[in-house]
Amino acid sequence: MTENISPDETLDCRGLSCPMPLLKTKKATSKMQSGQIIEILGTDPGTRNDLPAFARKSGHEYLGEKEDEGFIRFYMKIK
Amino acid sequence: MNDEKEGSVLVGILRRGYRTIFYENWPVMLGGLLIGIMSVITFAWARPWGVAGGLRNWGDWFFSLIGVYEKVPFSPLLSTNSILTFGLLWGAFGSALMSKQFSLRMAPPFELLKGAVGGILMGIGAAMAGGCNVGGFYTAVSALSFGGLAMMVGLLIGAYLGLRYLYWELEHLPGGTAGGDPGKTKEKGIDWISMEPYLGIVIFLAVIVAAGAYARQAYTRIGGLLLCGVAFGVIIQRTRFCFVRAFRDPFMTGEGDMVRAVSASIMISLLGFAALKWTGLRGEQVYVTQTFWFGSLVGGAVFGFGMLLAGGCGSGSVWRAGEGHVKLILAVICFSLSTSLFKALIKSSSGFTALIGKGVFLPDYLTYKWTLVILTLIFGAYYLAATWNEETDKFTVEM
Repeated sequence: MTENISPDETLDCRGLSCPMPLLKTKKATSKMQSGQIIEILGTDPGTRNDLPAFARKSGHEYLGEKEDEGFIRFYMKIK
Repeated sequence: MNDEKEGSVLVGILRRGYRTIFYENWPVMLGGLLIGIMSVITFAWARPWGVAGGLRNWGDWFFSLIGVYEKVPFSPLLSTNSILTFGLLWGAFGSALMSKQFSLRMAPPFELLKGAVGGILMGIGAAMAGGCNVGGFYTAVSALSFGGLAMMVGLLIGAYLGLRYLYWELEHLPGGTAGGDPGKTKEKGIDWISMEPYLGIVIFLAVIVAAGAYARQAYTRIGGLLLCGVAFGVIIQRTRFCFVRAFRDPFMTGEGDMVRAVSASIMISLLGFAALKWTGLRGEQVYVTQTFWFGSLVGGAVFGFGMLLAGGCGSGSVWRAGEGHVKLILAVICFSLSTSLFKALIKSSSGFTALIGKGVFLPDYLTYKWTLVILTLIFGAYYLAATWNEETDKFTVEM
């Protein structure tokens, strides 16, 4: 599902811990267009819970995650 | 069915059990309920749950070792405060290993600074409020102390101001929180991650051996408290239970999950505490700290601001430190040093001690019955307000 996604924007949150990845995501998504896809790079395991919850609450579509070398890539489609 | 087949069925069941416990995330409400139950068990066994007291004991011990304090503090190996907090750290560390989530996570320099300043502020706030979000709020409310409610108000104020600061920081100091490649070179040869669960098993076995050793030295209660601390660590790490979120999320994202979990947890815990106190099994004044109202309210606000900067409260910083977040390790160290110093400062001045406040045990004024009714209503209202806010976003602060 997350294999062939080409994101419109990438947000690098590696090294940051809760709540900074979520706050930066909230800020970035507020400036994006409907239908665009954001990719978030993160190292905090909490982001795994925070992003899907944020997506449910805000109406964005959480597309999934992908493991990379030492970090995770998360994908979300703007409502 | 032959033996071999039965054996493989058992292995399958155990494997699924391991996955359920250490791979899948537990719902936060389960965390709330389990913490409420553990809070009552811990009090029934020996004493209420706290976190900041242990950190203070470590700070006292450090300052006495370098000659700043003349008085030698209680040994960290025998202080019940220290043992509970050590158990929390150890349990979170073991649980993170079992879940393959332990890793030393470096943070950018500005984030490290926020961890240090947040830790110092939390230390000061906890010294004023007679405990952190656990001892000063969660356990204090359970113990039917008015100070717990005063700290709750302070925490909400501090969390609101802290969130405004974080918003400001995102606008004005975007470079300070830029993420990036932590620059970790991948070690070749040994695959540490897949080894972690085995190390986790060793960690948990060590705790059982330690508890047994305490029991043999006639310190069974302390050994039991170590196990209680470890249980808190596992529950909190697996549910990623975060008191900060109970105060911050309604303003930040409007989510109410953690508010509901904390409210439900407190309702269980306070019923257990009331049962133990009302029947005379435990002293009425236990955890009714002499901090109402100034210490609890102002200390709560200072603490609340600090926990937003650090990204973890008393319990939250400790469990995240156990998971390897360098920012939170720094926060815990600064917390323990500053809370030790600030407590010594308060104690050194009788005027300051008087300003901090006095102990108010609610049943002395309201009777047990009405105290329970009112506290239950307050947390029921908090539960409902957060759920209502989820739909309406009335309290949510826009960037």
